[in-house]
Amino acid sequence: MPPGAVRVLRLGLRPYPQALRVQERCVAAARAARAGAAPAESLVLSEPAGPVYAWGLRGAPGAAAAAGLRARGAALVAARRGGHVTFHGPGQLVAFPVLDLRRRRLPLRRYVGALEELGLRLCRRLGLAAARALPPPFTGVWVGESKICAIGVHCGSHITSHGLALNCCTDLSWFEHIVPCGLEGKGVTSLSQELGRHVPVEHVLEPFLDSFREVFDCTLVFSEEPGD
Amino acid sequence: MALRALRRVGPGLAPRCPRLSPPPRMPAARRLATSSLVLSARKFTDKHEWISVENGIGTVGISNFAQEALGDVVYCSLPEIGTKLSKHDEFGALESVKAASELYSPLSGKVTAINDALADNPGLVNKSCYQDGWLIKMTVENPAELDELMNEDAYEKYIKSIED
Repeated sequence: MPPGAVRVLRLGLRPYPQALRVQERCVAAARAARAGAAPAESLVLSEPAGPVYAWGLRGAPGAAAAAGLRARGAALVAARRGGHVTFHGPGQLVAFPVLDLRRRRLPLRRYVGALEELGLRLCRRLGLAAARALPPPFTGVWVGESKICAIGVHCGSHITSHGLALNCCTDLSWFEHIVPCGLEGKGVTSLSQELGRHVPVEHVLEPFLDSFREVFDCTLVFSEEPGD
Repeated sequence: MALRALRRVGPGLAPRCPRLSPPPRMPAARRLATSSLVLSARKFTDKHEWISVENGIGTVGISNFAQEALGDVVYCSLPEIGTKLSKHDEFGALESVKAASELYSPLSGKVTAINDALADNPGLVNKSCYQDGWLIKMTVENPAELDELMNEDAYEKYIKSIED
């Protein structure tokens, strides 16, 4: 693998908890990479196979709310990342870049900015010129008053995990049962809704990877991850 | 309490807690100069936590480099008092917007206090990372572990090496 290359694991349609386990293995590999040797960076891409509500350090639903969400058929997952509660499910591209911020000389706040830039470039590539990023606490990618791409990351020992979730053709009604990202009065949207045509996750992968290469100035190497 | 006369005080230096520790070398205009009076007792980890030990109790925080890298801290997730930590153990996380940054224990010991002020004012970690923005206090089970940490000079060199 050439130095500075990021290994891409395209999991396809996969339950969210499985994608998390793949991510954990990538994080362990990245942390184990010795100083001076090539970094072991990865990008895990998946489309969640089933509905999941996930929260970060904050945003855990109370017992009654949790029961209500489960009754709708969703799984609940606590994720150690920034950001509040959000929804993951079919029709959504979930990307976990596992990058070494110390080697990249990239402060964490600029890494979050880079993920926003990635989301913006991708939306513009797909014809959504109106996409924009907003300052905190509205970090993410927006079209008007609606969020199209949510961001929430973790950083430990300079290695990142979690990342972003882009609504391609997500059933947006799932978001009605939470206050997404803890932001009252804001909406959610998807590429399909904004472009007026069906945009499946598969159509977004190549432009996503092109945008990723640009923003993170890297080459990508494609790898098969053995099944869980 | 007798206040030592402060000689060669750098610009804008106003220590909030006068201490009877020996005055450190005062570096010429460097980022860390404004709080060098209390910095000389500090040791640093390569993950940018600092610890300063007084009367067997270590106070732990994150460095100026770390708080700048994080951005505005909006939430501090800290351990319970009484938690036993080994050196390198994860003991909490700081959330800046959309990012949770793990905290690692510089030493082995038991948590004796957490900074309650951070619950309502997490921005103290940014505004006063070496003073009011302290995170936890802990006992020092194995003082030899302190020797493994970087002093201020070594930490500054470390920062330069990762910034270039």
